[in-house]
Amino acid sequence: MTDATANQMPASGPAARSKHGSILVQAPSMRARNRAEARFKAYGLAAIVLALTMLAIMLTTILSDGLSAFRQASLTFPVTLDAATLDKSGNRDVAEMSKATTVTYGKVMAQSFVAHLVAQGISTEGVSEKELAAMLSKDAPAALRNDVLANPDLLGQTIEVTVLANGRIDGYLKGRVTMESAQKDSNISPEQLVLSDALRKAGILTSGFNWGFLKNPDASDQRPEAAGLGVAMIGSAYMMVLVLIITLPIGVAASVYLEEFAPKNKWTDLIEVNISNLAAVPSIVFGILGLAVFINFAGFPQSSSLVGAFVLSLMTLPTIIIATRASLKAVPPSIRDAALGVGASKMQTVAHHVLPLAAPGILTGTILGLARALGETAPLLLIGMVAFVDNYPSAPAEGVLDPATALPVQIYTWVQRSDPAFVERSNGAIIVLLLFLMVMNVTAILLRRRFERRW
Amino acid sequence: MNDMRLLERAVDTQVNKITARKVQVYYGQNHALKDVDVDILDKTVTAFIGPSGCGKSTFLRCLNRMNDTIAVCRVEGRIDLEGEDIYDPRVDPVQLRAKVGMVFQKPNPFPKSIYDNVAYGPKIHGLARKKADLDEIVESSLRKAALWNEVKDRLDAPGTGLSGGQQQRLCIARAIATSPEVLLMDEPCSALDPIATAQVEELIDELRSQFSVVIVTHSMQQAARVSQRTAFFHLGSLVEYGETGQIFTNPKDPRTESYITGRIG
Ligand SMILES: Nc1ncnc2c1ncn2[C@@H]1O[C@H](COP(=O)(O)OP(=O)(O)OP(=O)(O)O)[C@@H](O)[C@H]1O
Ligand SMILES: [Mg+2]
Repeated sequence: MTDATANQMPASGPAARSKHGSILVQAPSMRARNRAEARFKAYGLAAIVLALTMLAIMLTTILSDGLSAFRQASLTFPVTLDAATLDKSGNRDVAEMSKATTVTYGKVMAQSFVAHLVAQGISTEGVSEKELAAMLSKDAPAALRNDVLANPDLLGQTIEVTVLANGRIDGYLKGRVTMESAQKDSNISPEQLVLSDALRKAGILTSGFNWGFLKNPDASDQRPEAAGLGVAMIGSAYMMVLVLIITLPIGVAASVYLEEFAPKNKWTDLIEVNISNLAAVPSIVFGILGLAVFINFAGFPQSSSLVGAFVLSLMTLPTIIIATRASLKAVPPSIRDAALGVGASKMQTVAHHVLPLAAPGILTGTILGLARALGETAPLLLIGMVAFVDNYPSAPAEGVLDPATALPVQIYTWVQRSDPAFVERSNGAIIVLLLFLMVMNVTAILLRRRFERRW
Repeated sequence: MNDMRLLERAVDTQVNKITARKVQVYYGQNHALKDVDVDILDKTVTAFIGPSGCGKSTFLRCLNRMNDTIAVCRVEGRIDLEGEDIYDPRVDPVQLRAKVGMVFQKPNPFPKSIYDNVAYGPKIHGLARKKADLDEIVESSLRKAALWNEVKDRLDAPGTGLSGGQQQRLCIARAIATSPEVLLMDEPCSALDPIATAQVEELIDELRSQFSVVIVTHSMQQAARVSQRTAFFHLGSLVEYGETGQIFTNPKDPRTESYITGRIG
């Protein structure tokens, strides 16, 4: 290649071109194919945009309706604990003192509240004494009574208390209750709202982070401001731990047996089909089964987290078995050959090589199964976890036999109640539930990343 | 093939290690191996050659009962290892595989460290009581597999991080770490480049002094280079079996001749 044309393209006219024509001009069939591809991309993009919009709408509604549940209005004022009314016998004997009911405490509290307003020079015009007392939560006297019974020395003193404000006042601060709505509401009057504004200015009515929402047990219909997720969260936590303890060993053992040891015949095919069927069974059916077997037949206590965990385990097991079998299948057969080839037994092959490689998949499947169980409501309704529970379950292990509720069930109960304050709280509970689910899913993703190995 | 000095290649011993008689293998209805009679000699490299699908791997896997792991596979006939029937119900295949090691076509190191790959066999068979013993086994196996110099500084590195040829030698080291008596190799060089192939072939020749080696290969040259005896399989039958020199220079069966001259493939 020493001649000057070495660097030039060899000449070729249109005549030299093959029958396919120039590649610089797009063939009609090519154009159609490209259009089809562009259309397909557009469909895909549209689907994703639609899904994301729905998600955004859902999250915004939940957040806008539910975030306010994490703030709570409360009133701070001094209460004079009159020993003569609260301890008639005067000997500070707790048994005698408990004869003073919450009604008595309510009166004492209301008196102190009114006295404090007068002392502060706040006008209570147009608000009757009864209405003034109603601005305090119905939960407040009970809380004060518990404090006094726990510490009788308080009697005779004047102490500064911070009590929950009534749900309507709370709603007014959050913008849920307005002057117009108060006009039609028998539980609150516009005058009370005017007074609330004055109380705010005086620093008596304040709004802060609602720890009670996370700690308190559920409360009755008249006291939405006192209702919390405490019992539901404990119940859900107990159940999740129990479900994990029950399903992981059983699920992994069953999958390892089916995948690695069981002969492939009609029976194992039948089992396989039925496991897939079980995974598709509506969860409420498991609830009916749990009611019949665990409560009516085996006699476990109703509404307890243990029975809830049994039912959720039944529901989660097929999911875990399917996920585990899939990750066992994904372990390359060459690894099994390698282990068997150096003389490992079947059990050693599984324990030393197959299970460690399948572990990330198993864990991910388990966490996703648990996440589904955490959000499950229907079967728990059937075994009585929908009952009103205002006592915390005791610590494990006996605590799992105590009545409890679960987060999704609590949401379900609250949405049914008429007071809009409960709707706010159920949205708040949804946020808590979603947070838990998010933490679980992120854990699943991290575990997968962490343990994923290439081979 | 005159540079291979085939005729000088003498078989050192005539002791039978494995005797196979009338071996039949079925995969369900498929009769994959028919009436195979083979004597595999100790301290000898035996090559199995034949067109794809003729049953070489199947027969190799009979020798350490790896076929047991295939549900549809059924083996008939008799295979003796030093006079003992390996398909006797009293035989535990796990124990058998410690004596008859295997190297697979595709390098399949465990996704563990190089050290753990080699130490795994001796560990589960309780061959080393102390850590020092185990270290010694690992080192000597890696040396025998001609891998020691390349990996001695990174025994903790993952075995899967080695190159294909190194991985295959690691698998050979893993197989010889349990000190087997027979080493089965199913196309051990099919994934390797010519240099790595040459290394593995050299290694096979060295291993011959300690083990009986059976190798499946598609490369006629390789069979001629490394083996003392060659068996030619065709359509599930053993067509011809004899000294490598004789098979390649003077085949008795016309099918063998067509295969080694490239007419059946
Ligand atoms: N696991 C299996 N299940 C069913 N049939 C099988 C199985 N393995 C092999 N066979 C069949 O047995 C016959 C022999 O296969 P084998 O793998 O022994 O051939 P081979 O000689 O090793 O071929 P290659 O040189 O391509 O590796 C083939 O017909 C194959 O289809
Ligand atoms: Mg093969």
